[in-house]
Amino acid sequence: MVDSQAMLDKVWFILPEIWLVIGAMVVSMMGLSGTRLVRDAVPVVVCCFLAVAMAGIAWVYGDADRLAGIDLLMPQLGPYVKMILCAIGIVLAMLSVGLIDRPLEDSLKSGRARFDPIRTSRGEFFAFFLLSLVGAMLVCNANDLIWLFLALELTSLPTYIMVAISRPSVKAQEAAVKYFFLGALAAAMFLYGFALLYGSTGTVVLTEMRDAFAEQAAGDGLNRLAIVGMILAVLGVSFKIVAVPMHFYAADVYEGAASPVTAFLAFVPKTAGIVAIILLLGTVGWSGHGAPGAGGLPQPILVTLWMISVLTMTLGNVGALLQRSAKRLLAYSSIAHSGYLLIGVIAGPGMGINAVLFYLLAYGVMNTAAFAVLSGLQRQGEEIESLDDLAGLRHRYPVMAVVMAVAALSLLGFPPLLGFWGKFSLLIAGIEAHRMPLVVIALVNSAISAWYYLRLVGLPILAMPTPASESITHRPVPWARVAAVIAALGLVALPLFVNELLP
Amino acid sequence: MTSLTLSHFLFTSAVLFVIGVIGFVTRRNMIVMFLCTELMFQGAAIAMVSVGRYHLDVSGQVFVIFILTIAAAEAALALALVVLLFRRRETLNAEAWSELGEP
Repeated sequence: MVDSQAMLDKVWFILPEIWLVIGAMVVSMMGLSGTRLVRDAVPVVVCCFLAVAMAGIAWVYGDADRLAGIDLLMPQLGPYVKMILCAIGIVLAMLSVGLIDRPLEDSLKSGRARFDPIRTSRGEFFAFFLLSLVGAMLVCNANDLIWLFLALELTSLPTYIMVAISRPSVKAQEAAVKYFFLGALAAAMFLYGFALLYGSTGTVVLTEMRDAFAEQAAGDGLNRLAIVGMILAVLGVSFKIVAVPMHFYAADVYEGAASPVTAFLAFVPKTAGIVAIILLLGTVGWSGHGAPGAGGLPQPILVTLWMISVLTMTLGNVGALLQRSAKRLLAYSSIAHSGYLLIGVIAGPGMGINAVLFYLLAYGVMNTAAFAVLSGLQRQGEEIESLDDLAGLRHRYPVMAVVMAVAALSLLGFPPLLGFWGKFSLLIAGIEAHRMPLVVIALVNSAISAWYYLRLVGLPILAMPTPASESITHRPVPWARVAAVIAALGLVALPLFVNELLP
Repeated sequence: MTSLTLSHFLFTSAVLFVIGVIGFVTRRNMIVMFLCTELMFQGAAIAMVSVGRYHLDVSGQVFVIFILTIAAAEAALALALVVLLFRRRETLNAEAWSELGEP
């Protein structure tokens, strides 16, 4: 039934992922080495594997013949999303240098302890880092519900462990427990949704589901089972993109995990979730926009998405207003940005989906820049969390202060930074799709968000240092600060290439 | 004698799923909470196989194999986290964890 050529083509397009899985194995073994140099080389090797994977993606998707024959719902998602995942993955790996096993390495250096492979977790951490990225990349290649389910789980399962081992504090473990249990609940939810979708169409292949739905829509409307299934699936996946009603864990988990892992959580699972939602909705299609499906988004699903989008951005922005902790503030901002992303999803293929993909890139860069500043600084080995710690940062670390300000302005959508172009393209797509109420609500929300984002600009640049912020020093490892500068340069420079970057 | 139809199986799966959700929300013992998510997974699995039989399609059964695999992986992870909790707090109550939250 399955001809071998189709099978080979499937494998061909996941060659970069296979390469990264090999990378994960290599890295997990290197982490156990008794030689310090080899252990320290782990993040470098991760970056090399990711860089080669980027070249591989360009090469694999350059094969026009195979690309034309590929049996995917939306093949155009693949190269773009995989590229941004790998590119931002490199910056995220730089953030995580020196994060894991710091106390152990310190005692090894001073000769107080002997190396014991059982006690290290650096290799595992970076292996899970790569595996989670692979999961997110595989979501783009999903052409059936089984693949989609496995890819989404592959994205999430490693992140639970990454949160738990990110720092020795009990907070990280509590965050991991919360994250895991809600993640399992969400997974069961979208799995049940998948079961109902399978039930209403009799197939798990997304392209065949699209045809079945088109047939149903041409008859007497979409099966009720399908609508319930689709809503359950979207609600379940909304855990991954931290959207209402599965958003409430975000602040706690983001606060508990170490900053580099938080940056990872805010970008990689979100990308996977958004792509999964786009693929799921692609089976019913957005009518009237040259959409893949023929039926068009049925009213109940449209209303659900609309409500999720509005509630997500409003709750995110209002919640952020109340925060005193920089990490919790950025967590709520991450919730709000998911609401903006859903505008593009509702607007549909063409401009809408392109805007979503571009916004994912923009959000990834600016979010990484903000968390890189938090990762690069410390107080006696502890993370800085409170907003007050950032007060007067300019006097001690002018570069970090400027990076924080640029990241916050970009998150706010201040022209001409990258975030502005992302938000601009989302809103234009919303207007083109005649979703004016949504666009107006998003604009009001942006105005609300100015209040707290401007605090992130004002505190480091304008405020005077306090005794608390005087005691802040930089991390001994410079890579987080290098990553912060790279991300900030990206925010300033990438807008020059907006036309090339838009998918 | 009435024969079993698809709706009986779907009803069973829905009941399992709802019991799982209710248990997850109301119970505070971490192991019971985890068993409730397992119950939800198995509800979905029953729906998969019964629908697969109804459509005479094997992909439902294949899906269930993968669901069981993922459920096993999650069980390993859940037990690790529960052991972690027990070592720190000597209790299985989820409310023993209260470091994080709104100030």
